[in-house]
Amino acid sequence: MKHFTNLGKAVAAGALAVAMSTAAMAADGLNFPNLTYRTGPFAGTGTPIMNGQRDYMLMLNERDGGIGGVPIDYIECETGYNTNKGVECYEKTKGEALVTQPWSTGITLQVMPRTNVDRIPILAPGYGFSPMSDGDTFAWAFNPPVSYWDGAYMILDYIAGGDMSSLKGKKIVLLHLDHPFGKEPIPLLEKLAEMHDFKLVPIPVGLKEMQNQSAQWLQIRRERPDNVVMWGWGAMNAGAITEAVKTRYPMENFIGIWWSGSDADLQNVGAKAKGYKSVSFNAPGNFPVLEDIRKHVVSKGNSEIKSEADMDTIFYQRGIIISMILAEAAKTAQDNFGEKNINAEQLRWGLENLDITAARLEELGMKGMTPPLKMACDNHTGHSGAWMLEWNGEEFVQASDLLTPNRELIKPLELEKAADYAKNNAPWPGRGDLACN
Amino acid sequence: MFYRTSGQFKTTYESDQALFPIKQDMVLLVVILAAMYVIFPMFASEFTYKALLVPVLIYSLASLGLNILTGYAGQLSLGTAGFMGVGAYACYKITTIFPEMNIIVALFLSGFFSAAVGVAFGLPSLRIKGFYLAIATLASQFFLVWLFEKWAWLYNYNASGAIEVRTMDIFGLVVTGPNASPMVQYYFVLGIVSVVTFAMINLTRGRYGRTWKAVRDMDIAAELVGINLMRAKLSAFAVSSYIVGIAGALMVFFWKGAAEPNLFDIPMSFQIVFIAIIGGLGSVMGNFLGAILIVALPVVLNLLPEMLGLSIGSATMEHVNVMVVGSLIIMFLIVEPHGLARFWALIREKLIIWPFPH
Repeated sequence: MKHFTNLGKAVAAGALAVAMSTAAMAADGLNFPNLTYRTGPFAGTGTPIMNGQRDYMLMLNERDGGIGGVPIDYIECETGYNTNKGVECYEKTKGEALVTQPWSTGITLQVMPRTNVDRIPILAPGYGFSPMSDGDTFAWAFNPPVSYWDGAYMILDYIAGGDMSSLKGKKIVLLHLDHPFGKEPIPLLEKLAEMHDFKLVPIPVGLKEMQNQSAQWLQIRRERPDNVVMWGWGAMNAGAITEAVKTRYPMENFIGIWWSGSDADLQNVGAKAKGYKSVSFNAPGNFPVLEDIRKHVVSKGNSEIKSEADMDTIFYQRGIIISMILAEAAKTAQDNFGEKNINAEQLRWGLENLDITAARLEELGMKGMTPPLKMACDNHTGHSGAWMLEWNGEEFVQASDLLTPNRELIKPLELEKAADYAKNNAPWPGRGDLACN
Repeated sequence: MFYRTSGQFKTTYESDQALFPIKQDMVLLVVILAAMYVIFPMFASEFTYKALLVPVLIYSLASLGLNILTGYAGQLSLGTAGFMGVGAYACYKITTIFPEMNIIVALFLSGFFSAAVGVAFGLPSLRIKGFYLAIATLASQFFLVWLFEKWAWLYNYNASGAIEVRTMDIFGLVVTGPNASPMVQYYFVLGIVSVVTFAMINLTRGRYGRTWKAVRDMDIAAELVGINLMRAKLSAFAVSSYIVGIAGALMVFFWKGAAEPNLFDIPMSFQIVFIAIIGGLGSVMGNFLGAILIVALPVVLNLLPEMLGLSIGSATMEHVNVMVVGSLIIMFLIVEPHGLARFWALIREKLIIWPFPH
């Protein structure tokens, strides 16, 4: 009975216990938390990437004893893509964290101002938002290896066959999620449409109608576009591809961004989706690094993948690339500072001065898996380029040489939007006291 | 024994009408307030503020707003998150148009915008009731989220499509933005929640509260005894949306720091309805108990395995969490269908007559 009268005290005791437990979470090694989404409505997209990320880190621990001899403490904190959980996970992991990987535009936006104060680099590979490339504004944020604006440019470049002026008079539909992520390419595409005199028709898909896009595809049929470019994600991809098959849209004219290129989305329709394309910063194949992961992680039963065939999917291999970028940044920092147990600020330096050469990729067993990547103080993305992949009815195959973005065109837009962001979040610290080299 | 009321004589009308006529209730309240204002801040870590204390307070406030409408005035609403969004966007626009304005003023002003929108969407309540009204408020929910997406002026044509909070201070003390200390933000939220809660306890005991309850219990009878139904229902919508709007603004400015339109989508509306129902409709205290169960418990459960030294995958824990919280909700509703506030009232009654069974 006393329990109830002292309700307040009980609550206080509970909170105390919580406060103490979070203080006692310290562990040895390089602390790399990942805010995963293996549950919730987008688990289908998230799980294969998270598996790839995790397995590469576990493989480094097994094979090399970590990075530079220091084991990696790879921690997952589940958000289910929920921004409330994102706050919780960020606060829970940040104490010891060397990096934060927020994995959602919403969580990234919430966390980004805090990372300047907490001095933790934020790694948002292939997502985040394009102006993050401006390292002088976003000193702690990195979105290698290519940004969405790069992706939009490369897709159009591919459609135009390398000559943008050939787009004149064409009609291109942008089928996008009606959400900040989906609207991201619009400023650049509008600019390109004006420059090269083609017609851009953005068709939004609401979050609630991701799985039922009959209205959007009816509009596409009416518009008769030369190409459909898709900025989709989660359930929207499968919905769009199914609907395209149903309305007999010519698949070879349908191109998605890298998050719209998951094997799982296409396997349902199989051969009917033959010709569908997706731009990607990782190419499929059987690389030596996969053998190492199979040997050190998967065959020992330490992986979370359901079957070994999952290792051949684009998203799993993309997860490997993402972890590789982080591991290489840690190694760069270790080499530069001559210290094995680096701190978050040193890792930030490592990311900023990351240079993954073709030779290094070969050493890592990833030759041809992703383009060489080099970042700099004013280039927190790297803009290393991507390949066009094509669905051959059974799997994705590489369908183009390396595409690269036109930096002269995109960079001014990035600087402009970065300045806007700094103004909205005034006073924005910018680079502050961080030395460039 | 602990709650012996014998010997507490009321000799004046004032003492009989006091907010807490029983001395032990007063003591309990003082203990809770002391815990909130003094003891927690002495021990709480940044994580405790950001993941437990502040969200519980903000969700309690939102649920309190909904409870005024649904619990006291009997008007079912599924549009709470939309009205929170109106408050948040209004506060964002006010603070960007008038950067010099004190955030407290902006906060209380933004409530008026959500109140106005709430009254507008409350108009159908004059003709429809129950489930039909729920559908009308659901429509407001869809419409408002759509508006937040489409009306770029609302987010200042921001490239990210989200609203972001800049650093603001009150008399030199930084209260919003990344540089604000979580403790300062906690005290700020706590202060506002305390003030609004105190006002609502009094309001619901007074003329308006009684009018609302009369409308809730039987609107025809209420009309026959001379209650103006239109005024009663619309005032409930106004007060409710005002509080909900403030809760929305607090959520973005003092907790999250940035928000996308779909934050204010229907899942949050449902979450707040759950808090109100599990806490207890028609009670003030229930909102806090409900928020502790729905908002804080999952966070604490997530920490459990680590405290016990077990290693369970974070995703697995999330699944377990959903199951545990779900079954707890069902259990509480079976044990006491009227919510946690009623549960506490029963315990309190038992304690008063303890050790005698009747």
